[in-house]
Amino acid sequence: MQTAERRADNKNLKPEPWRDPNAEGYVRIENITKKFGDFTAVNNVSLKIYKGEIFCLLGGSGCGKSTLLRMMAGFESPTSGSIFLDGQDMAGVPPYERPVNMMFQSYALFPHMTVEKNVAFGLEQEKGLAKSEIASRVADMLEVVKLTQFAVRKPHQLSGGQRQRVALARSLVKRPKLLLLDEPLGALDKKLREATQFELISIQEQLGVTFIVVTHDQEEAMTLATRIGVMNRGEIVQIGTPTEIYEFPQNKFVADFIGSVNMFEGSMIEDLPDRVRIKSDELGATIYVDHGISAAPGAVVYAAIRPEKINILRAPPADVSENCVKGVVQEIAYMGDVSIYLVKIDSGKIVRVTLPNVERLSDDERILWDETVWLSWHASSPVVVTQ
Amino acid sequence: MKPAGAMANSRVAEGRLGPLWTLLFRYGPPRWTEYVLKNWSGQRLVIAVPYLWLLIFFLIPFLIVLKISFAEFSPLGRPPYEPVFQWLEQGALQIKLLIGSYVYLFNEPLYVSSWLYSIQVAAFSTLLCLLLGYPMAYAIARSPPTIRNVFLMLVILPFWTSFLLRVYAWIGLLKNDGVINNVLMALGIINEPLTMMNTSFAVYIGIVYSYLPFMILPLYSNLEKHDLTLLEAASDLGASPVRAFTRITLPLSFPGIVAGSLLVFIPAVGEYVIPSLLGRTDQLMIAKLLSDEFFLNRDWPKASAVAIVMLLLLVVPIMLFQHFQNKELQAAKR
Repeated sequence: MQTAERRADNKNLKPEPWRDPNAEGYVRIENITKKFGDFTAVNNVSLKIYKGEIFCLLGGSGCGKSTLLRMMAGFESPTSGSIFLDGQDMAGVPPYERPVNMMFQSYALFPHMTVEKNVAFGLEQEKGLAKSEIASRVADMLEVVKLTQFAVRKPHQLSGGQRQRVALARSLVKRPKLLLLDEPLGALDKKLREATQFELISIQEQLGVTFIVVTHDQEEAMTLATRIGVMNRGEIVQIGTPTEIYEFPQNKFVADFIGSVNMFEGSMIEDLPDRVRIKSDELGATIYVDHGISAAPGAVVYAAIRPEKINILRAPPADVSENCVKGVVQEIAYMGDVSIYLVKIDSGKIVRVTLPNVERLSDDERILWDETVWLSWHASSPVVVTQ
Repeated sequence: MKPAGAMANSRVAEGRLGPLWTLLFRYGPPRWTEYVLKNWSGQRLVIAVPYLWLLIFFLIPFLIVLKISFAEFSPLGRPPYEPVFQWLEQGALQIKLLIGSYVYLFNEPLYVSSWLYSIQVAAFSTLLCLLLGYPMAYAIARSPPTIRNVFLMLVILPFWTSFLLRVYAWIGLLKNDGVINNVLMALGIINEPLTMMNTSFAVYIGIVYSYLPFMILPLYSNLEKHDLTLLEAASDLGASPVRAFTRITLPLSFPGIVAGSLLVFIPAVGEYVIPSLLGRTDQLMIAKLLSDEFFLNRDWPKASAVAIVMLLLLVVPIMLFQHFQNKELQAAKR
């Protein structure tokens, strides 16, 4: 937790460069398209990534995030568009001449070499590095990832977490301008993954290298990233900080992909700069939103409400005319920290609600199956998107 | 009823010798099949069958050859020879080992030079097979999966024709008025036919041609398993394609190189047909010498001694082969 706090401090000290329209991108991706035959893997993507960032490319499988990463590493060449790193055009530069290193999803450790040799491999390819220099840099790197005592082991003698750290050390020891991480924590179990996320952040801060992380795991992206780029079908659908992505999704895909959400189709019956009313047949009620949105009059809109932003009441609230709907509890899933309720509302739609288990309740105090309940939410909770 | 003490004694013996004791003494020979079927697992049976085969058709004949190698040359040229073990009238056991054949082998220049020549031919052929076979195996392993099987088929295809025929065919190509010389002369590249038949060159051609698949197949099966992301990782870390090959692919294919080399080297040392048909007449390889000793000189003890020494000489590379095969098996298990 200390790490997270320190990071928060850093954030206050460091201006967020993406807020400044004149800031130069350290990595500039300009109109990159990659086609494999008829299939367009990456479609006209433009991105600016700033020095010292941990930028996460988040998306489902086949969304083009790995292809984009492989183009930055130089394993694939773009069909059109260009990639600049620190002002230098990367077109035609082979992978072994790029100041970029990659941590592979499978780690790709050399099975016939010891940990030490694996880490030293990259330095041995550099011209004019003395043996003693290589040895000391390898030793320092192993120190950073806490693997000094495993230096002479072979990869198959290590645990999954240790292998992951060897892969990290190997890709960082060359002091790359940019480190690409392909699902860096994908092969680790949940507990280890959480611990490693914070470790990764602290190592990144220590070395100040710019990270680009590809992941399908939104929790991973949320924890690691300074900013997240959500990808779908080869395109970037939203770029923003984890909070922006979660609280202010710009479209249906992002709202749906990140976390879970209840989505209600409707049309606007009142459209003012500071408040909006949406009539939704799917919900069978009117949604009142206390902020304005931009949409064409009469357009179909979608109101997205997060499950944790909905209250469950056993008695109807004072005002049932807006932001309130009656339903019957269909399913309850007890997850320990939270409980998930699936409530069938009168219109027939199932609404998902999560409540934190703040108190230990006995069975007759708890909301149970088949109970009639009222769902309500604050006017600031719904996010309205048009597509 | 047996006395209790005897029972206990037999138990102790049984414990010490275990299943063998039970098999030999509790069950008599007529019930051995019953014992085996009742007590042995399927796995043991499956392993036992080839071992039994080898015992009957390899180990016992080998011991007979070993025995003959220590016997005295009989002018009749055929067994029976004097027995090695003999009970004398006084009740003593006489063991008679004549090492004359072995002494002869190591003193006779003809044998020594045949040995050295056989090893030289086998080693050089193995090297040629490796230099030719590695790029081929590499190309096949990296080709698209759809045409990979076609390439592999082409490598195996020659086996569908008789080995002997294929070697004979080389005579037609290599002889003085053979295809190669005729074509070269017709093109005006040479004026006189090149002497290729009955040279070491012809033997190398024959061996490399015949044994190349044995080099390619194990190399292919090794190279095909390589994780190509390792090469991407090497490239990412700054290694040029050549460096990536020498630092990653080559060391990882070492078990394949060893397996292929032994599969070529071992049969090449004892190769009989190819040097007999294509090779030099003034310098024999050891297998030819062995057969001459048996069939022309009818000196069975010397021939047996040659066979024994040849076997011992090959056991070392075979054991190496086993060692590396085990190593690769273990690596594959990971």
